[in-house]
Amino acid sequence: MTNQVATPLYNKLSAAFESRNAADLTPLREAAFAKFKAKGFPSVKEEDWRFTSLVPYLDVDFSVTAEAAGDAGIQQAVDAAAIEGLEAYRLVVVNGRIHSGLSVLPEPDEMHIGPLQEVINTDAFRAHFEAEDHTGGNSFTQLNTAFFTDGVYIEVPKNVSIEKPVHIIHVNTASVPTLFHPRQVIVVNRSAGAVFLETSVSLHPKQAMFFNNVLQVIVKENGECTHYRIQDNAPGERWVHHTQVTQHRTSRYSNYTFSLPGADLIRNNLELKLDGTATESHLYGLYLAAGNQLTDNHTAIEHIHPACQSTEHYKGVLLDNARAVFNGKVFVQREAQQTNAYQQNNNLLISDKATVYAKPQLEIFADDVKCSHGCTIGQFNNESLFYLQSRGIGEESARKLLVEAFMFDVTDKIEHEPIREHLQELIHQKMTAAMAAGA
Amino acid sequence: MLVIKDLHASIDGKEILKGINLTVNAGEVHAIMGPNGSGKSSLASVLAGRENYEVTGGEVWLDGKNVLDMKPEERAREGVFLAFQYPVEIPGVSNINFLKTALGEIRQHHGLPPLSAKEFLAMTREKQKLVEFDAKLANRSLNEGFSGGEKKRNEVFQLAMLQPKLSILDETDSGLDIDALRIVSNGVNKLRSKDNAFVLITHYQRLLDYIVPDVVHVLYNGRIVRSGTKELALELEDKGYDWLKEELRVSESIQ
Ligand SMILES: Nc1ncnc2c1ncn2[C@@H]1O[C@H](COP(=O)(O)OP(=O)(O)O)[C@@H](O)[C@H]1O
Ligand SMILES: [Mg+2]
Repeated sequence: MTNQVATPLYNKLSAAFESRNAADLTPLREAAFAKFKAKGFPSVKEEDWRFTSLVPYLDVDFSVTAEAAGDAGIQQAVDAAAIEGLEAYRLVVVNGRIHSGLSVLPEPDEMHIGPLQEVINTDAFRAHFEAEDHTGGNSFTQLNTAFFTDGVYIEVPKNVSIEKPVHIIHVNTASVPTLFHPRQVIVVNRSAGAVFLETSVSLHPKQAMFFNNVLQVIVKENGECTHYRIQDNAPGERWVHHTQVTQHRTSRYSNYTFSLPGADLIRNNLELKLDGTATESHLYGLYLAAGNQLTDNHTAIEHIHPACQSTEHYKGVLLDNARAVFNGKVFVQREAQQTNAYQQNNNLLISDKATVYAKPQLEIFADDVKCSHGCTIGQFNNESLFYLQSRGIGEESARKLLVEAFMFDVTDKIEHEPIREHLQELIHQKMTAAMAAGA
Repeated sequence: MLVIKDLHASIDGKEILKGINLTVNAGEVHAIMGPNGSGKSSLASVLAGRENYEVTGGEVWLDGKNVLDMKPEERAREGVFLAFQYPVEIPGVSNINFLKTALGEIRQHHGLPPLSAKEFLAMTREKQKLVEFDAKLANRSLNEGFSGGEKKRNEVFQLAMLQPKLSILDETDSGLDIDALRIVSNGVNKLRSKDNAFVLITHYQRLLDYIVPDVVHVLYNGRIVRSGTKELALELEDKGYDWLKEELRVSESIQ
């Protein structure tokens, strides 16, 4: 236990781990917990956590065991989570467990959906899972591996392409501050295609909650996966999201991460391993941060083989005392000739008390590549503001219009129109609320 | 309609407007000419309420209301419109949504309900025709990638849509070819009425062949140094500004 700050939490975690039933204590979990214990939670001494001190976010007497969920309130929460105009399947996950009763799922031959716990020890799963698992190096993922319950396993069979998005609604029912470890694995097999949208909802918002979520996505040869995540969370919530994607040759993966004001802390680790030639990846992010929120996006794209293409565009708007971190790593290994990697990060500071730390980080070891990156931090353009006002548009509406305009080149990339409209509406609402609170 | 009395304004502590007096009545067109740097755009900016100018003295009244007390958007809602010399590009704000928002806020100010989608569309079509503004441009992002001429025409399109009382056109004719100039001028002439007024800031007498002004003013070094009929514009075209500067220098040294 090297990190003194959260000692009571460590003790609680150790006790909880030891008291698990024997069937749960697989070698995988034991090894993971041992690693976690050796290193502890990350501290600001680690480069990747330099600007994000976890101390204030972990300093809560969290429960470390999930309570059993009753059904009260879940139905309404799930209905409210539906996105207007979006025809989608619905996968309801309550405290990390699939809720079949409320889910509306594709046929099993179109998509296998079940508890991860059920398959994790089968040879078939391990044959490709363990080989694809690169989560070992990170304290949070180790902790997740040690503790996740049930989990979600989704597999799209080869050659099956499902147009209709699967909306995964994560419902959290905890009524006391809890440290949670949800886990999901998605496998899109050869020449298969699927679209996922993740949102989450808490039945008891405004209490301290810590989510340590891990998602692994594997897109096999020539497969295609589009993945949206809307982080519209409640105050008090702290989220550490580890999303790890492995792409095989000629596969396509698009990630859209939208972080809105609400949660106290959002830390997203999005790691792409391009494990085959001629893959295509798109990472789009929007972060709108307000209040005392801290939103931290760490992305890493590893180009290993030739002719892979990655584009990344993250845009942030910061209000009030909000802080944001953007760290975009792109590695291009020696073998990865004809890589095409483009990265862009733009930030708009609306308040002079807001802060952003932005760091593009390109490490290129191949010579025949096209890589570019750009990073801007700016404020409102007063000329634009004056122009809008000079046409009769009030200052507040003008500011909102300019924020929406700033985000436009990312929102415009959303292929599913109802999702785009939903997001634009959310941005509008959050801006209005933040400005009203700030005024 | 517009009464400006002894208006002084400075920027970064440097006085730019040094006592402007100007009265514009409903139904009139005034031209303001003058060499570069004399303060024409500054006057337009101060009237529209640009923040970086500090008004250090004087008054501005629009139909009995104190303009200098109003925020830029309030001035616009009261009927002041500035066609900018250099319109900004705002990527991501659609031209047409922007106009819908602006028109909505102006109408609300006057206690009018918003136009229905159909009414708005009909109005857009009509005004586009007036200034021969390409419908494709109307649906693009505000001025983004527009040519100089397209931007100027968009200013006049907005003017037509918002139907202000007082329109100030800051060198809207500069950089227009003769066809565009004719289109823009025709548009303005059609929009003229006994209830509105225009202030045309221009460098070139050419514009005044198309839009005939009631009064021509010469602004020099922060003051209106001469006012007259449209013949004054012709005289300036012939002789340039040097004779005026010379005359002023002489009269100042006499004082
Ligand atoms: N933003 C500014 N900062 C400092 N000086 C300015 C600024 N804008 C204009 N000026 C000065 O004000 C004077 C008048 O400029 P302007 O109003 O643009 O003249 P005109 O439109 O007649 O050419 C010039 O001396 C110009 O340099
Ligand atoms: Mg000028």
